Amino acid sequence: MTNTIVQQPKQVSLLQRKKAVLICLCCVFFFVALYIAGAMMGDTGLRTDFLHRNLPPSLDYPFGTDWLGRDLLTRTVKGLCISIQIGMLAAMCSAVLAGLLGVAAATFGGKVDTVITGMIDVVMSTPHLVMLILISFAMGGGVQGVVVAVALTHWTRLARILRAEVMQLKNADYLQLSTRLGKSKLWIARNHILPHLLPQFVIGLILLFPHAILHSAGLSFLGFGLTPHNPSIGILLSESMQQLSTGHWWLAVIPGVCLICMVKVFDILGNTLRYLSDPQTSQQ
Amino acid sequence: MNRKQCFLALCTAILFTMIFGALSVTAMAKDTLTLALRGEPSDGFNPLMGWGRYGNPLFQSTLFKYDDDLNPINDLATGYIVSQDGLLWTVNIRQDARFSDGKPVSAEDVAFTFNKTKTSSGKVDLTQMKEAFATAANVIEFRFEKPDSTFIHKLLTLGIVPKHLYTMDYGRNPVGSGPFKMISWVEGEQMSVEPNPYYYGKPSPFKKITFLYGKEDTMFAAAKAGKLDMVVVPPHLGHQKVKGMHVKAVRSVDNRGLMFPVVPNEGKKTDDGAPIGNDVTADIAIRKAINMALDRNKLVDGVLYGYGRPAYFVCDGLAWDNPVNKIKDGDPKGARKLLADAGWKDVDGDGVLEKNGLKAEFTLVYPADRSIRQGLALATSDMLREIGIKANVIGKSWDEIKGLRHANVIVYGWGNHTPIEIYSLYYSESDNNRGFYKNPKVDEYLKKAITSVSFADSMQWWKKAQWDGETGAGPKGDAPWAWLVNLDHVYFVSDKLDIGKSRVEPHGHGWPITANITDWKILD
Repeated sequence: MTNTIVQQPKQVSLLQRKKAVLICLCCVFFFVALYIAGAMMGDTGLRTDFLHRNLPPSLDYPFGTDWLGRDLLTRTVKGLCISIQIGMLAAMCSAVLAGLLGVAAATFGGKVDTVITGMIDVVMSTPHLVMLILISFAMGGGVQGVVVAVALTHWTRLARILRAEVMQLKNADYLQLSTRLGKSKLWIARNHILPHLLPQFVIGLILLFPHAILHSAGLSFLGFGLTPHNPSIGILLSESMQQLSTGHWWLAVIPGVCLICMVKVFDILGNTLRYLSDPQTSQQ
Repeated sequence: MNRKQCFLALCTAILFTMIFGALSVTAMAKDTLTLALRGEPSDGFNPLMGWGRYGNPLFQSTLFKYDDDLNPINDLATGYIVSQDGLLWTVNIRQDARFSDGKPVSAEDVAFTFNKTKTSSGKVDLTQMKEAFATAANVIEFRFEKPDSTFIHKLLTLGIVPKHLYTMDYGRNPVGSGPFKMISWVEGEQMSVEPNPYYYGKPSPFKKITFLYGKEDTMFAAAKAGKLDMVVVPPHLGHQKVKGMHVKAVRSVDNRGLMFPVVPNEGKKTDDGAPIGNDVTADIAIRKAINMALDRNKLVDGVLYGYGRPAYFVCDGLAWDNPVNKIKDGDPKGARKLLADAGWKDVDGDGVLEKNGLKAEFTLVYPADRSIRQGLALATSDMLREIGIKANVIGKSWDEIKGLRHANVIVYGWGNHTPIEIYSLYYSESDNNRGFYKNPKVDEYLKKAITSVSFADSMQWWKKAQWDGETGAGPKGDAPWAWLVNLDHVYFVSDKLDIGKSRVEPHGHGWPITANITDWKILD
């Protein structure tokens, strides 16, 4: 009886970990497949085709066509690819910025910490969308405008987490023990601090993706992002607004649902990775 | 009075109140209008800054106006005489006209309006006029150093402002002698007007007209909800059904076309730092091939949903248009041959032609907030791909286009009831000649046209500037533009509203439909 009581949680844990790994793999597969599909689709569907305008979803056009006869499936897939690219680039820039500032604040302390904490407070207290629009506009719009705007507005939360993590580590017994044992600062940073920070950093980075994607879509929707005929999800949604009163529902619903699905998949990936790397949940 | 009688009296009173209330609401509905026609001026309702240049300044009256067939007729003026040398125009004005503040309109006000416009940095060009001078209470003389055959258009469109009330803020509080006066204006949202009690012309039957400003789709949704009496819509909405409204498509000379930089890129820049020149479009073979390859009928059917007609020059179908401009288009085979004869070949097999190492590739810019221009740019790019020309389409804001317009192909819109546009776009030293087109022969014809003593005399020169049998600024000549389409302006009009006979409309979005607004009435 005792054996069964002890062994059951281990089996559940193993199953859960396997399931989590499988979920992660599925998510990654989804993004890779989407990206390959976007690259392989070609530009034919993006061209105007006046003979096939405003067609609802059908076997020939699974997502329908728009007012210029462009294939919505091609535009949506390519739009999602662009969103992934922009999201990844913006999220990576943002995460690197967060990493540098968070670690610097905790490591140097004093005035550096005060300045960085102040910057975090200022950015967090300013309305997100206003900052995004201002930065994107100042950068001249386009991909660079969106990437810089998203990168400069999304680093604060992760920076705060990393700062707190490093400060906690600095006072940890095993770290002080290593110092007394004569280990160099670089050794301590590489063997103690980095392994501890890396999972937080990676998860933070992945969880930044959905924010970056949604905000880049939002900027494009408002006209501050990409050029209006580009197949970006924000632009597709913005264009569809002009068609809502005509009853062409597929122009808004399909890209919108696809965007939500993609953001959800990123969210699942981030949360599952957190589950796997968090010492508390991973050892359940 | 017992309780029963009291109850009956109360019921009767309520019933009567409801009936009269309903009647008064119906009556109100019959003498008010709500319109969504766009055309809100960013500089305010100030004629000196350009308000009314596409017709009907609403608050101000003009010296002359067009009738339904676009013939000039008297409005504030009672007649005019032009001296034999064309250097003096004398205009007499009516003496019963009053501004909406009750003060009479004098020749001084007219002279002030023209002289002030000349020195203002607005959109009205009066450089040809030397001076306007009030010689009597109702007589104005316009003096010129050189004759100006197009001056009549200024007399037709420039609204007269009161000298005693004109300030820098006039555009926000316009007072004039036109058929209406402003009640309120909330910029970007709505403007309300009521009839000017001192208006000398036919009074409007409507006690109040509200103009709503907003996005096309929002206004269309409002029309579908029964909130509007008229709305202007983009062509792709013209095939929709709206209960209680019918579609009215009005022919216009509101055109869209591609402007080519015609000088090569030699590293020069404008004073503002904008680069000048494009090596690809500087080649006349490229410009002519584009004009030849584009299928304009397809653009009308595809992008305008049939609401328009092909455009071959800036003034298609107007009296000063040269009919030879109508070239054979939709001919990619002929275009490819023309390019091959000029030395353009696809050497590396990528589908894009080359000549001396230069690829037949350019950037095609459209204003990002204009859906029709976007559609035209994309469809044009697709058509040009067939003949080996690669047009990279981008959408930019108007501010950004200022820095790009001398070195890239831009989708522009023009079209007005005056030949001055030909001068404005094709004369080598004109500000609007953004592609730096220059042909001495065309310049000569344009100068002769504008300095002709009479409008009739100028006609031959306007036409020769387009094509004289050997050269010209039209598609048969140097082709510095590829005109694409003339739009029909599409409106949904309430079935109960009679808007009379519509005229061929100029550029100016939906506003030109109001040219005969005093003739509008509610059908019984």
